[in-house]
Amino acid sequence: MMRWLLLPALMLVASPVSATSIFTGIEERSKTIYTDLKGNNSYHAHLARKLAIYAGVEKGQADITAARQLMDLADEHARKAGGQ
Amino acid sequence: MRILLLPLITALLSACVIAPLDIQRSELSEARALIAKSKAAGAERCAPEQQATAVARLYMAAHEYSEGDVHPEEQQELVEGSMKAAREAYRVARKGCSKKVEVITLEGVYFETNSDKLTDASVATLNGAVSTLKRRSSIHVEVAAHTDSRGSAAYNLDLSNRRAVSVMAYLTEHGVDAGRLSSKGYGETSPITDNGSAAGRAKNRRVELRIQ
Repeated sequence: MMRWLLLPALMLVASPVSATSIFTGIEERSKTIYTDLKGNNSYHAHLARKLAIYAGVEKGQADITAARQLMDLADEHARKAGGQ
Repeated sequence: MRILLLPLITALLSACVIAPLDIQRSELSEARALIAKSKAAGAERCAPEQQATAVARLYMAAHEYSEGDVHPEEQQELVEGSMKAAREAYRVARKGCSKKVEVITLEGVYFETNSDKLTDASVATLNGAVSTLKRRSSIHVEVAAHTDSRGSAAYNLDLSNRRAVSVMAYLTEHGVDAGRLSSKGYGETSPITDNGSAAGRAKNRRVELRIQ
């Protein structure tokens, strides 16, 4: 009986740790976007920055999936803006 | 217990599946339409920040809708925010994109007849243009050349292209960064006066710097 309860319990304990790791990545990517696109006022640059902000908001709400999706989009537009 | 394990694992795995941010969902159709309209009006170029705001909010709205009705106020706020930004982008684009391009006509640039070779009489004007471009170091310009209407349209277009390239080459050879310049020949398509007289044709044969 205890064996079956152990798995979900371990996952609950472990998830904040892995989440922190992923969130650090998002922060770094966001910082890169801001650095690379400094002074770039094109549509794609604006969009990349705004999406990076939203990714940060989702990070704050512990929604890893949404944060990563928004950050991926931000990276895509940063590339289009010539920043990466 | 094995019976309970399967749904548990399924539930855990399903939580890991990443649903795409679906901006095509029906709840976002009005915002999408406004964004498309502002984009068509040139908002990405003329109102880049407002257009980016509209699109970013659209993506966030798609995310909120993907979570069901957990945050209905946020959903509404984001959609309305997206539409508001798109309307603003459209308004700015309609106004801003129709602005006239600043044009500096280079009075006194001459070429040999039917040639792209600059005459010596052009040097003073061209050197003045070099000074202007060095002073206004942040601007990008198109070197635009025009002909009068004598000769065929195709010939005039080719001649004007070559003349624009000649002027651009002079500017770069005298220290203007080539990355700030482009060249374009307009042939006889943009006269500023009547081609019926020699004086009119002389005015129509011209080189301009069109500030981008």
